[in-house]
Amino acid sequence: MNAQFIRNLMITAHGVHDHIVHFYHLAALDWVDIVSALKADPKKTSQLAESLSSWDQNSAKHFKEVQEKLKTFVSSGQLGIYANGYWGHPAMKLSPEVNLLATSHYLQALHFQRRINMVVSILGGKTPHIQNLAVGGVANAINPDNQSTLNMERLYYIKTLIDEVGSFVKNAMLVDVAAVAAFYADWTGYGKGVTNYLSAPDLPMDTKGTVFALPGGYIANGDLASFTPIKSFNDEYFKNGVKESIKHSWYKGDWNKHPWDETTDPNYTGMQYDDKYSWVKAPTFYGKPAQVGPLANVLCMYAAGHAGTKKYVGDMLATISSLAKTKVGPAALHSTIGRIGARAIRCAVLYDELTTQWNALVANIGKGDVKTFNAPVFPSGEIRGVGFHEAPRGILSHWSVIKNGKIKNYQCVVPSTWNASPRNGDSAPGPYEASLVGTPLADPEKPLEVLRTVHSFDPCLACAIHMVDAKGNDIVKVKAL
Amino acid sequence: MYSIKEPTVTIMGLGNILLMDEGVGVHTVNAFQERYSVPDYVEIIDGGAAGLDLLPFIDGRQKLLMIDAVNFDREPGYIDILENEAIPAKFSTKTSLHHLGLLDVLSIVKLSDTSPKDICIIGIQPKSMELGLDMTPEIWDKVNTLVERMVSKLQEWNVPCALRSPLK
Repeated sequence: MNAQFIRNLMITAHGVHDHIVHFYHLAALDWVDIVSALKADPKKTSQLAESLSSWDQNSAKHFKEVQEKLKTFVSSGQLGIYANGYWGHPAMKLSPEVNLLATSHYLQALHFQRRINMVVSILGGKTPHIQNLAVGGVANAINPDNQSTLNMERLYYIKTLIDEVGSFVKNAMLVDVAAVAAFYADWTGYGKGVTNYLSAPDLPMDTKGTVFALPGGYIANGDLASFTPIKSFNDEYFKNGVKESIKHSWYKGDWNKHPWDETTDPNYTGMQYDDKYSWVKAPTFYGKPAQVGPLANVLCMYAAGHAGTKKYVGDMLATISSLAKTKVGPAALHSTIGRIGARAIRCAVLYDELTTQWNALVANIGKGDVKTFNAPVFPSGEIRGVGFHEAPRGILSHWSVIKNGKIKNYQCVVPSTWNASPRNGDSAPGPYEASLVGTPLADPEKPLEVLRTVHSFDPCLACAIHMVDAKGNDIVKVKAL
Repeated sequence: MYSIKEPTVTIMGLGNILLMDEGVGVHTVNAFQERYSVPDYVEIIDGGAAGLDLLPFIDGRQKLLMIDAVNFDREPGYIDILENEAIPAKFSTKTSLHHLGLLDVLSIVKLSDTSPKDICIIGIQPKSMELGLDMTPEIWDKVNTLVERMVSKLQEWNVPCALRSPLK
C-alpha cells in the first residue's frame, strides 16, 4: 500500500510540475507579448493583479523590478529563445499591463515548478528518469529511525515543498489562465477538433486497482451524459476498445489491430498526403479517434461528479465570465482555450491530491506498515496484460504479451499518439488535424494561431520538431492544406 | 542535493551517450572525476541531453563549466573554448537537440538575472554521431586533453583540483 501512495505522490507532483511548465514556459508566450510588457505601468498592473487574486507577489515595486530586468535583457540584444517569439503580432491582444503580469508570473513559475519537482526527485532518486519503480512495488525503504531511508524528516520536507507551491497554483496560475481565456474569448470558438474524449482513472487507493481517487472513462461526441467510466485495471470495456491503424503510417502493410496483436515494422515511403504520411500510428476507441489530455480528463471527472473538478471548473468559468463581461459556459471548454483552461484546473485538482496522498502515506506508516514491495510471480505460459495511467498529456497505456517469462510483444499507446494521430483506417482525422480546420490566420507567413492550437495539446514532440540550419534560420516550413 | 550550502560552481558534461561522439562531454566528466577531486562548493553533473531540468544546476551559480560536442566545421577532434557572449551565438546555429534545450536555460537565467558570471564551454568536433554506445578512437584519444583543459580552466577560476591517490 505504501508503494501505491508513493507512486501517487510522484504522479501528482510530476503532474503539477508539468502543467506549470507547460502553461507558463511552453504555451504562454503564444498569447503573452513580453516585449509589450516594457510599455506597462507597474502601478496599474499591480491594481489589476490585486483585483484578480490575493497572490502576495503582485506589488507595483515587484512589477517595476521585473520590467527593469526585462529592459536590460531586451537591450542586450541577445534574446536567445525569445528571439523567435511573435512579438507585436496582430493576433497578440493583451494590454501591456496583462503582459507584464504574466511575464512576472512566468519568472516566478520557474521557482515553483522546480520546488514541486523536488518531491519527485526525493522519492524517485532523480528526475527525469526516476529510479525507484519496480514490478511489485517501489525501491524506497521506509524506516523512521534511519537517516538513510524515507523517514519522518524526509516526509515533512516533502510536505513543506507541497505547502510552498499551493498559493501559486491557486492564486496565480488559475487566475492567469482565466485572464488569458477572458481576453482571448474568441478562441473558445476555435480548435474544437475531435470531441470523443478518453481518459484513465488514476491514483489507486487500494492494492488491486479497483478504487481510484480520480475517475476516468469515455465521452462520445462531447456529450457528458454519454460518460462511461473505466472502473479498474482489469476493465474489459477499456481493454477491448483500443486498436491502432497503420493505413496512413510508415509501417509495413495496412491493418487495424489490437495492441497485443500489433507489429512495428518501419517502412518509410516518403511524404504522400493521400497515402502514408506519418510515423505516428492511428489509435481508435471502438473505431473512433479520441482526444486525450487534461481536457478529456477534466470533462470525464466533471461527468463522474468529482467534487474538486466541479468546483474549479465553476470558479474558472465565473472568473472568465466576469472578466469577459459575458456568460461563458462549459460548452466553451471544447476549444483551444478550453484545453489550456482544463490543464490549469487539472493542476489544481492534482495539487489537492498531493496533500491527500501524503496524509494517506503517513497514516499508513503510522499503523506500523513499512513494507514497500511484494515480490511478483510470473505465471508460465502466455499472458497478456495492460497497464494504464493518466499522464500529464493524457491516457498512457502499455500492452505486453509475456510468454514463459519473456516479453513477446510490447506496444505503448501514448497520449501524443492519440492526439497527433494521422487519419485512421476509415480516413477520419485525429485531434490535431481536426482542430486546425477553420482556424483564421492574421498573417499566413507567421502562423501563430496554428501554434496556439497545437501547443494547447502539449505535444510530446519537443525533440522531434526542432531543426535549425547552419545559418540559424528555421527550416521548418508550415504547409497550409 | 541535501547539502547545507548551495554549490557555487557547476561542472557539466553534456550529450547523449547513445550517439557515439555526441556523449563526449559525459565521458570526459567521468574521466575527470576518476582522476581529480574538487572542493564541496563544486557540483559535477551528467547533464545528458536535458533541457529545462538543468535549470536548478545553473540558476544562481557563479561559474559554469560545460564540456560538449560542438560543430566548429573543423576536423574531428579539434578542440576550442567558447566563453560567455560567444556561446549563444554559436549555439543558435547548431543542429544538436540538447543545445537548443541548453540555450533555453541560458536565456531563462539571463532574463531572470540569475545567470552565472562566468560560463565556459570546452567543445570538441565529433567524428560520428551515429547510434552507438562507444565513441570513435579519435575522440577517445582526446579525452585526456579535454580533462587537462578542464583543469586549467578551473585553476584560472581558482578552483583547486587535487589528483586522487592512484593506490585507492
